[in-house]
Amino acid sequence: MKNRLNWKNIYQNPSFPSFLILIAIIILNASLQHNFFTYRTFKSNLLTFTPLILTSIAQGLVILVGCVDLSLGATVSLITVLMASLMGDSLLSIFIVVLLGSGLAILMSFVNGFLISYFGPPPLLTTYATSVLWFGIALFFMPTPGGYIPKSFSKMYRSDLFPNFPVVLLFLIGAFFILFFISRTRFYKHIYAVGGNEDAAYANGVNVFLTKIKVFLLSGVFIALASICVVAQTATGDARCGLSFSLNSVAASIIGGLSFSGGKGSIIGPIMGGLILGLLINVLYFANITSFYQEFMKGIIIIFSLAIGAIPKYLKTRSL
Amino acid sequence: MSFILEARNLKKSFDGVVALSDASFTLNQGEICGLVGANGSGKTTFARIISGLIKPDAGQLYLYGSQINLKSHLEAEKLAISMVHQNLSLVPEMTVWENINLGREIITPLGILKKEEALIRAEAAIQELKVNISLYDKVSQLAPSDQQLLEIVKALSRNPKILILDEPTASLGFKQVEILFEKLIQLKKDQVSVIFISHRIWEITRICDRLVAFRNGKTVGEVDFQQQPREERIIIPLITGKKENEDEKGIHEKRPYRNFDTRQVILEVDSLSKRDKLHNISFKIREGEVIGLGGLNGQGQEEILFILSGYLRKTSGKIKINNQEIIIKNPSQAIERGIFLVPGDRQKEGLFLNHNVFTNLVYPQVAQKKQKFILPLKELRQTVNTTIQKISLVPPDPRKLVSHLSGGNQQKVVIGKWLSLSPRILLLNDPTKGVDIETRKNLYKIIADLSNQGVSVLLYASDNEELIANCDRVLIVFEGQIVEEICGDRICEENLIASSLRVQ
Ligand SMILES: Nc1ncnc2c1ncn2[C@@H]1O[C@H](COP(=O)(O)OP(=O)(O)OP(=O)(O)O)[C@@H](O)[C@H]1O
Ligand SMILES: [Mg+2]
Repeated sequence: MKNRLNWKNIYQNPSFPSFLILIAIIILNASLQHNFFTYRTFKSNLLTFTPLILTSIAQGLVILVGCVDLSLGATVSLITVLMASLMGDSLLSIFIVVLLGSGLAILMSFVNGFLISYFGPPPLLTTYATSVLWFGIALFFMPTPGGYIPKSFSKMYRSDLFPNFPVVLLFLIGAFFILFFISRTRFYKHIYAVGGNEDAAYANGVNVFLTKIKVFLLSGVFIALASICVVAQTATGDARCGLSFSLNSVAASIIGGLSFSGGKGSIIGPIMGGLILGLLINVLYFANITSFYQEFMKGIIIIFSLAIGAIPKYLKTRSL
Repeated sequence: MSFILEARNLKKSFDGVVALSDASFTLNQGEICGLVGANGSGKTTFARIISGLIKPDAGQLYLYGSQINLKSHLEAEKLAISMVHQNLSLVPEMTVWENINLGREIITPLGILKKEEALIRAEAAIQELKVNISLYDKVSQLAPSDQQLLEIVKALSRNPKILILDEPTASLGFKQVEILFEKLIQLKKDQVSVIFISHRIWEITRICDRLVAFRNGKTVGEVDFQQQPREERIIIPLITGKKENEDEKGIHEKRPYRNFDTRQVILEVDSLSKRDKLHNISFKIREGEVIGLGGLNGQGQEEILFILSGYLRKTSGKIKINNQEIIIKNPSQAIERGIFLVPGDRQKEGLFLNHNVFTNLVYPQVAQKKQKFILPLKELRQTVNTTIQKISLVPPDPRKLVSHLSGGNQQKVVIGKWLSLSPRILLLNDPTKGVDIETRKNLYKIIADLSNQGVSVLLYASDNEELIANCDRVLIVFEGQIVEEICGDRICEENLIASSLRVQ
């Protein structure tokens, strides 16, 4: 048996380029922002990045199984609308509404999964259709941003659990914990099998239908977590607040080394991809680039990251 | 009645195309039963029904004595039926050990994978067939023959009572075939029943106790080798449906000796090297010559073809055409110079699986630069129809999706793609992998015709008989070097094997 890790394997790992980019962008950010390594900055960064990271994980899982979820952003929006419409001041009401919102997020993700794996239309179109549907419902209930989120809820979210430990970190730790557990299960192998070669997975007795459904359910959990963060952060319900997540999470996943056709890459990738996108906006801000150029630069850098992500593949064909 | 498996009058069609019209089959405990038939005769369809992957439209299935309706593949697996798939059922991006364990992972009550046990099981499984691969290799990095072995290993590791092997030897070299046969004989002793599908008749006569022949989805005959002699002439008419006559016999007839010394050198390869793979490969091909690349599997033969066709870059060495040094950086440069490769892995390199036969066949022409901007569709249709006839595609329908063709018919499309072009140098990478005996004969004739027209051919074949039937010279490749050249009358089974194994 050959040993597991040798250098060749490391630089051919699909997540390796995104790791390099992440380091580079952290260095860049730290050099532009003198107080980057302080607790304050750390916490405020965390508050901004967490929703993107969580949605990237949700998207990453779906991409791994060979699908894509374009409705993820609309789901986040609809959940914020729901929570902002129903939440009251009491702790009990907060608790119930958060639970209700989470349940709905998981249900909506399940609907996507069911439509895709039962009827078999292309995921891209299916989730585009559901995204329009969710967005329509959200607009119906809340045409303009509004609703009510108790101050105590937002405050709780922004507070520290104990000194130098922000509450928001709990969300990420929770996410890591779930992923760590999942990554050691049989189910996780089945995700790669279905994403990598659906026919082969089927011929090996893997339940393709169930695997996809489970992935969407799991993805729903992360979408729910992200929605809670967004609501607590913005303290409003907004039918448009989540829309950018749909494609940003796809970009984060691909930057993180996942293959759009599925079954390739590690779920750590989207996390790094999410961080990269988040830090990118920081860097552009601190580099004093005007907002018009910010979008432009963002586009350039995403393309650049994607190109770097293609390096392992290039090296592989060269050494064939 | 002691049949371990019996199928009666199975029928199956796919959107109107009949794959099986009336298939019956019996299998005794502890026997190896061959299943033969031309490409598209329904062998794979039958195998997929037995292993619960598809449901028959009509007919009965008896297993271990009682009638059964296989509802799913899992159910077949529970009944200890396991199958080696023609198109392989491996997940390319997963590792060897993950693939061996796929679908029947051992888990803790919490659902956590027991990796240690999975590794032990995988290691034990690959030891069974003495396959030399690492458990941590990704399947996509393995050579086609290793992938095939892994597929067999995976099926064996499920401890089947009924084992279905759908063309397991198509991409194996003779040494690997030997190992497989040893294993099959051992399984037979353990009372395992085996269904063995192959287009190589000598394999059938060698290993099987009995055989069943399919033609056009029907069972047309059975040969019991306890009563009948193990001879090709009994089997071939069953497959082709034609009365046996004289010229039917010599499919693997040796090509008569031809002298090329006076002909012009078309291709010259001078100390070609590729890091770790090839070392100082030099040879010349003259006009109209057919040269074979022999030797054990994976000694670098495919790399030579890949370099010449622009899929791989060489590290050093020269390639000359008509005495002029040329540089080939990518396939399109090779094609411009008239060098065409018929690739070996049809699923990966040769075909657009989701496109129809027409598109696949015209693509090489359309991709050429000299083609007009607006395609002459009428003409193209004409050529496609002639090609379909030449390769005797079943069904002869240009609108059929390639992924819906039988394995051998897919391979015919790969070959047919290049026929309508006019190559100067034709590189063939195991072209008849999984192709039935009649088409094989047609292909040999096509090669001979091309060679008479002055086309030079470089042929790699895992089947020695193919080299014997086609080649004027055979270069034996061993560990990336050409170690011997066998010419003319010396090209025979014994010499080829002896040189490949380096026994002198
Ligand atoms: N999924 C499918 N959709 C449509 N037609 C199919 C499908 N699968 C098989 N067929 C058709 O059924 C027929 C029998 O195919 P099958 O694969 O069983 O042949 P085979 O005997 O295994 O041939 P080969 O020796 O080439 O592997 C072929 O004509 C093929 O085109
Ligand atoms: Mg077949």
